[in-house]
Amino acid sequence: MQLILRGLFEENPVFRLALSLCPAVAVTTSVKNGLLLGVAVAAVQILSSATASIFKQFIQPKVRIPVFTLLIALWVTVIDMSLAAFFPAAYEQVGLYVKLIVAFAIIISRLELFAVKQPVFPSVLDGLGMGLGFLLALVLTGALRELLGSGSIFGLTIIPFKPLLIAILPAGGFIMIGLIMALFNWVDVLRGKPLPKDSGGGHG
Amino acid sequence: MTTESESGCSSSCGAGGAGCASQKLKKQLTAPPTTQDMLRMIVSLTVVAVLSAAILGGIFLWTEPIRLKNQAEREAKTLRSLLSLPDAASMEEVRRYQAADLSVLYLTKKNLIHLSQEGKELERQASNLSSAEEYDQWVKSRYSVLQPKPVGRFFVARENEKILGYVIEGETQGYKSMIRFFAALNADFQLQGLEVLEQEEDPGLGAEISQAYFKNQFAGRSAEALRSLEVTKDPLDDEWKKALEELSSTAFTPWLEKYGSKVSAHPVIHAITGATISSDSLTQGVKRAVRHFQMRLELMKGAL
Repeated sequence: MQLILRGLFEENPVFRLALSLCPAVAVTTSVKNGLLLGVAVAAVQILSSATASIFKQFIQPKVRIPVFTLLIALWVTVIDMSLAAFFPAAYEQVGLYVKLIVAFAIIISRLELFAVKQPVFPSVLDGLGMGLGFLLALVLTGALRELLGSGSIFGLTIIPFKPLLIAILPAGGFIMIGLIMALFNWVDVLRGKPLPKDSGGGHG
Repeated sequence: MTTESESGCSSSCGAGGAGCASQKLKKQLTAPPTTQDMLRMIVSLTVVAVLSAAILGGIFLWTEPIRLKNQAEREAKTLRSLLSLPDAASMEEVRRYQAADLSVLYLTKKNLIHLSQEGKELERQASNLSSAEEYDQWVKSRYSVLQPKPVGRFFVARENEKILGYVIEGETQGYKSMIRFFAALNADFQLQGLEVLEQEEDPGLGAEISQAYFKNQFAGRSAEALRSLEVTKDPLDDEWKKALEELSSTAFTPWLEKYGSKVSAHPVIHAITGATISSDSLTQGVKRAVRHFQMRLELMKGAL
């Protein structure tokens, strides 16, 4: 449980570790896109963490990075092909970004920092936590950007005009993520916790 | 050397505690690789790569037919709804290929027509094919074709040998990437509707080209009217916008009866606010696709 919660808040990949910001900005123009990519990332993270953890004894440490990359690429392609076959409508929206999950820093960093050192079950939990954290970040950013930029949520019109078009453009995405980061920090300050001095992640 | 330190470590701290593991890792990483290390690297990389390839191959064989089937189904559905075809009507695909010597090949269900660059007919032969993949293979086995993908394909809808209409596939350079679209024409070459299949325009701006209030502005235009169709930056009035949105839920013929006068009252395409480039490129793309299609139909002379 601790492991899952950590991924969601304390070490949220986007708002805390500031990893994989580019894709986070690119897809969060609507909640639906954010949700779909978030699910795909969570699936890849869990599967890769589990595989890396199971086979950690067989992986020569000197070649672990290429092996991890191969593992991630394997699962990303599996997810990519399954999405294309079984959810063609959703794939049309996020297909382009699913392939990019291979290069998401968050996934390989969890393998390197956590999965190779820990047994399978905690690794799966850590993967789940980080995946859900990423999902949360994408959905939250997506919802705010869609609401402000297009006046709708999940494509349903809520505000009959477009309040702030910049929110939906890439620059607006960075601004929005920055604001949510600030909110995370503010909540921490209110709870009497010191701000993280040097947040590079990797306390696994 | 590595094996020595490994065994020593595991005996001293049992089943590999975290501290021990990281120490071991550090030692392994800083020591120069021995022959054994190198062999292990090669073996583990090869094994991972081979296994991954095998898994991917299996998944691909499983999912690819499903994906292609879905795609073809979706395409067929779009085509039928664009022309609001009765169930009895049939749809025939005509493919166009460009050969390496710039001559052009048209492949219908019954004929293969080979035209020179100037549009002179070089040869015409009978073909009898059923599926799209068969089309591709058949042409590739006989000619050296430039694009692997057919360019400028179109579809002919028929009921009892009478042509009901055509759907043309077109491509145009958008603000970022190519915009691919279907344009539906009735037998008199009047535009019945437009459907944007692929686009990567900016969401909230250029991506609005696939919205009813923009794409339906093309409906009801004759081929002649289309030729001089221009884009204006003037805003769309609300009444006309409502009428355009209505087309998405009604069939073309009753819609035109109701709003025919409105179509002629709006002889221009109203660009999307903030996305003049996307609006203009789709307009030019539709104009070009219809013009080329009419030319090509002329060249094929009764081959349909």
